[in-house]
Amino acid sequence: MIEALVLLALGAPVVGGLAAWRLDLRRATRVTFAAMSVSTIGALGLAWLAFDREPVVGVGGSVRVDGLGGWLLVVIIAVVLLAIVASPRYLAAEVAEGRIRDTDPGRYYALLLWFVASLLAVPLLDNLGLLWVAIEAATGVSTLLVGFYRTPAALEAAWKYLILGSVGIGFALLGTLLFYASSVAHLGETSDALNWSRLMANAGALDPGLLRLGFLFALVGYGTKIGLAPFHTWLPDAHSQAPSPVSAILSGVTLAVALYALIRFHLVADAALGPGFSATLLVAFGLLSLVVALPFLVAQGDLKRLLAYSSIEHMGLLTLAIGFGGPLALLGAAVHLLAHGLSKATAFITAGDLVQQYGTRRLGRLHGTLSAAPDSGPGLLAATLLVGGLPPSAVFAAEFAILVGGIERGWVAAAAVAAVLLALGFVAVAYHVLPLAWGIPGRRVPIRPSSPALAALVAAPLGVVVVLGLWTPEPLARALAAVVTILGGAHG
Amino acid sequence: MTQELALRVVDIAAAGIVLLGVWLAITRSIGEATWLLTGQSLLMGAAALAVGAARGSVELMLGGVLAIAVRGIVLPVVVRRLLRDSPVRHERHAYLGARASAVVAVAIVFVAALAVDGTAGLPGGSSIRALPAAVAEVLTGLLVITTRRKSLSMIIGLLVFENGITLAAFAITAGMPLVVELGVSFDLLIVMVVVQVHARRMLTTFGSLSTDRLRSLRG
Repeated sequence: MIEALVLLALGAPVVGGLAAWRLDLRRATRVTFAAMSVSTIGALGLAWLAFDREPVVGVGGSVRVDGLGGWLLVVIIAVVLLAIVASPRYLAAEVAEGRIRDTDPGRYYALLLWFVASLLAVPLLDNLGLLWVAIEAATGVSTLLVGFYRTPAALEAAWKYLILGSVGIGFALLGTLLFYASSVAHLGETSDALNWSRLMANAGALDPGLLRLGFLFALVGYGTKIGLAPFHTWLPDAHSQAPSPVSAILSGVTLAVALYALIRFHLVADAALGPGFSATLLVAFGLLSLVVALPFLVAQGDLKRLLAYSSIEHMGLLTLAIGFGGPLALLGAAVHLLAHGLSKATAFITAGDLVQQYGTRRLGRLHGTLSAAPDSGPGLLAATLLVGGLPPSAVFAAEFAILVGGIERGWVAAAAVAAVLLALGFVAVAYHVLPLAWGIPGRRVPIRPSSPALAALVAAPLGVVVVLGLWTPEPLARALAAVVTILGGAHG
Repeated sequence: MTQELALRVVDIAAAGIVLLGVWLAITRSIGEATWLLTGQSLLMGAAALAVGAARGSVELMLGGVLAIAVRGIVLPVVVRRLLRDSPVRHERHAYLGARASAVVAVAIVFVAALAVDGTAGLPGGSSIRALPAAVAEVLTGLLVITTRRKSLSMIIGLLVFENGITLAAFAITAGMPLVVELGVSFDLLIVMVVVQVHARRMLTTFGSLSTDRLRSLRG
């Protein structure tokens, strides 16, 4: 049963990618939709089991999905489905404009499916070394998607992404190695000595000096992939140059996948070294990211870079929440993961649509989107304001829970500074997107008719984000409780 | 193979890796750099094989074979093929000249030797003697990545950096578990395929593999 679900979740996108490689846009789209439907069944099945009777263990103990892993599966699937459904329209417009060749959509879908397979592997793996392998594979495949347009700017962004990402993740491998070294004296030189569940169960017997050093390397390494300041410099380039549906996945969920890896290291370090060491580092780096992102949000002139810097801000907030700890802040973090993923992905998808329509990403040249683009215009406005934390929404509720939770845990100053920075960040985003929505579109901008399909694609995720800010259905509450248990340091 | 012989192999390999690393930091010829990378990888594989044979650890010996095959043969061959297609063969106008690089490379060797002075208590046993070489290799890789302008030089730097981490794994814990080593090698192959595709795109867009043209994205 477990093995079959794993095979569906990971096998379908790998095989689908192979099949899509040489197909034209229409056929490749069909193959991709089919592959992702199968994969969704597998991934959500595993998540369901993990919420129900955690943890789900299979494939000889290599696969282990607990509540946190299950939740990440849900978030990945939600964001990826959104991006995949948005892709045909985006690609058709690019082919029509001659920006990509007829053969490119097949390659695009193949790379996208392999990228998704490596992302989905992350929450399934118990071994911290193999988890690293999956994240590095995702980096490699997504580099080709970032450089997909072959323009000088896209190639520069892909190059930075590859080199900085690989060096960063190299440090994460060093961190992984030091965690292994901290355990082999006690657990022996077996591959389980790198299994997160065994590290947690034997936390008291691990070598504290090696763990401390290992966590520092993991923080720098995965911090680079999360986009934590000061290791974030590749992020705005990569997220702004990639095709917009890919940007949605990169910003909406890939950063969160890297954060998931760091959380696993943090939980082991916290259990072994006692509270304080890793949590303080997470709070410090989280705050730094909020501080560093703000001036770039204020002075931004490019729509997609604005969204990318907003992701740095939000990853800073999530890191801060994990550092705070305590049930309230951790619940906020869990909700934030999904709410940010959905709203940021929608923002990138609508932004991509507007960029195609207006032929520019400069904020100064985008005006009157509400009248010129009846779906994407309001969609982008709503998505960016929701990402910024406009109530009622799950983002707002999550931010509120994180800050109050932080104060409860005694991080009063950090929570206060974060609250001010978030408010300023919201003002900065609103300052840029409000003039974009109103005003008069340029004379050369084509006015688009409303499309019910696009309207539904935009309204569905944003509706979920708004509703979750007001009401949590029962199964979701159970899932969130399972997530908070794991984030709180339990290891089942 | 006896323990003592294995120890001598590790010592010789470590010394060789350090010397090749200094040379790698100084040389301006990208072709020469690929050979130096090959040499470092082969020495690392030999050290793993020797220690594996002395301890009777099949896993460690397989790790050595993997290092020789992937890092010593496949990856340098890929880089040399890219070099053949590229008009750029030499590192000109690097951020750090040959003489300054030599000074930094020697400083790295001293820092590495000092930094790992207190390594008692690590579980690696005899292979721990390779740790200074590993630290020096990691730092040399970073030096090459940060101070060169040509993309192939940077890729070589990245591979040296990766080799250093693997050598550190060998030194500290007598290697990562074999499944992880396999996964890491697989990822290195993916990265090299990506580099190849990317280099082809760069050649068609810019007509060169210099990163000088890659500095327009700001803010």
